[in-house]
Amino acid sequence: MGDVLFLALRRLRAPLITIICVYAISVGGLTLIPGLDAAGKPETMSFFHAFYVMSYTATTIGFGELPNPFTDAQRMWVTFSIYLSVVAWAYALGTVIALTNDATFRAMLARSIFNRRVRGIVEPFYIVCGYGQSGAALMHALDDHGTRLVVIETRAERVARIALEEYITPPLALAADARLADVLEDAGIHSAHCAGLIALAGDDGVNQAIAIGARVLNPNLRSVARAKSRAAELNLAAFEDVRVVNPFTTFAENLRLGLAAPEVLQLEEWLTGAPGSDCPDCMTLPRGRWVLVGFGRFGHAISAMLDVEGIEWKAFDSSVVDDDEKRLIHGIDTEHALNDAGIGQADVLIAGAAVDAVNLGVTTLARRINAGIFVVIRQNHAQDHALIKAARADMSFVQSELMVHECLQILKTPMLGRFIGHLRAAGADLADATIERVKRDSGNGAPLAWTFACDVMQPGMFGAFFQRPGDALRIGHLVADPTNPSERLVATALLLERQGTPHLLPDDSTVLKPGDQILFVGDNTARGLQLRYLNEPGTVAWVCSGREPPRGAIFRWWQQRSRAA
Amino acid sequence: MNLEKVIFGFFNILACTLNFGFFIGDLDRPELHHPFELFTAIVVSLIVTVLKFGDRTQLGATHLATSLVATLQLLAASMVWAWQLYITRLPMDGEVMSIIVSLSGGALLANLISVILLIGETLRQGR
Repeated sequence: MGDVLFLALRRLRAPLITIICVYAISVGGLTLIPGLDAAGKPETMSFFHAFYVMSYTATTIGFGELPNPFTDAQRMWVTFSIYLSVVAWAYALGTVIALTNDATFRAMLARSIFNRRVRGIVEPFYIVCGYGQSGAALMHALDDHGTRLVVIETRAERVARIALEEYITPPLALAADARLADVLEDAGIHSAHCAGLIALAGDDGVNQAIAIGARVLNPNLRSVARAKSRAAELNLAAFEDVRVVNPFTTFAENLRLGLAAPEVLQLEEWLTGAPGSDCPDCMTLPRGRWVLVGFGRFGHAISAMLDVEGIEWKAFDSSVVDDDEKRLIHGIDTEHALNDAGIGQADVLIAGAAVDAVNLGVTTLARRINAGIFVVIRQNHAQDHALIKAARADMSFVQSELMVHECLQILKTPMLGRFIGHLRAAGADLADATIERVKRDSGNGAPLAWTFACDVMQPGMFGAFFQRPGDALRIGHLVADPTNPSERLVATALLLERQGTPHLLPDDSTVLKPGDQILFVGDNTARGLQLRYLNEPGTVAWVCSGREPPRGAIFRWWQQRSRAA
Repeated sequence: MNLEKVIFGFFNILACTLNFGFFIGDLDRPELHHPFELFTAIVVSLIVTVLKFGDRTQLGATHLATSLVATLQLLAASMVWAWQLYITRLPMDGEVMSIIVSLSGGALLANLISVILLIGETLRQGR
């Protein structure tokens, strides 16, 4: 607020001094001009009355001639004063109105209001930098999860668009450059409630600057940055706490999984999908020969993966020159070029050009030649969503959806991300076992994931580990319904982490130790009920023994005494 | 020579001298303290205050603070005067006059500090 006030005062200096001078001249003059009192004796007006008269005259209120009728000399002076003061007021008001329309002033005012609101947030919030397609999709997804959001976007028209879109809790938006430290500070990077930062600006260099700036300003902050180029990815990887997501290599990695262990991909999609959605079918990608349309960063990432897998591929793009191995073909999206690339004998077509119309066209042409071809199509613009969907490709690459998936995984349940990492390393058998177990416990709908921490600073866990004789605490106790222990909650333990060591798919009989972290999947009811084991003392004891333990010190003493006796 | 410095220094010192002019003389003798002098002191003090708006340096802030003190003291003095004449409707006496003059004495002190700051700033810059 200080900045705004200073700017206003600075701009209003001239008009304020003008008004002071005009008042001084008018009031001073009025006290010098000879007048008459009620009895007709000569008298000059006092300062008090002169100021009173000028106050109502200058503001054109006009109460008349007070306290006594004026002499002609006084009237002459007042006439002069009226013109002088009305002009001064008009000048001052004009300056004030011009100031409120001034772009600098409005930007400062908006910034100061934004800052005040950010400081008013008392729940966890994320800072999103860049409101493009991915940024918007991620913000809507986080908003659906009930998270507060602060967004920084350079283009004012995009910021204006946020106000028109539907959010459960409208995000706080600022039109500014997030690379500047003071902008990040105003957006609450130092706030105790700031849960993370996501850099999704269009340019890699900008994302790099934002992520590094955020890391320097608040080293403990969890941050995610998008990097589309290898160089930016490597630069950011040097900062340990910054998670880098490259949408192209991530998708290429997904394709590799689809080739090597499709069950892993299936499980991953299911676990990270919207809660309640059905388990996706296991999709097997044909190995065979692949044809890539478009050889930009997307094509590069996929061809690198294909080289690792030892799959034969050909790519054509208007910007490449033919290479020696005849894998790169210079060409545009014509039937001729497709034939050159050998579409008739190919098994997979990657329609990955940066223009949606090209991708759609190439899909149609390829299917005309080779009806059974497996098509992976890339969607570049959100407005082409319906068209891309109508093409009914076997798989589609939508950068914004992929970014939302990855970011949610990293930010909301980091443990789920680690589980998926183990899963990718372990392969199809573990994925099959997991799918079977989750389906047995939770049914077909996509489960919700959460983490349960055996935190002994919480009353429930303290009681469970230190104030309870008898059976050790097991995972089986945590999936029993605390209102009716014979019933099982809709929850499955996927991963147990003990002092950094992962234990995949722990059994119900696994004994827990203080400090353990368990990743559960299940439904929201189970998650809510399970919290009772953490927050309520005695719930664990009741589930284990069927007896409510004494709460108060006297009753505990009594119980110990009677047990000893 | 900087015109801004001339104007600023002029008003700053004028506020101080006018204030001194009103203050000088026995505290309780109304005939030694003319209302017009108090009026001009208030006007100049207001102008000085506005001139100091928007200077964001540490010294600028102290300047503004001294001027605000002086202006408020002088306005308080004029209000005591108006109260005596128009609210209680009694002629000016020595007791009330001494209140008014001592208020303006406080303002004089603030104005002196302001002038000292001005001199100090000029000497420090040396240009």
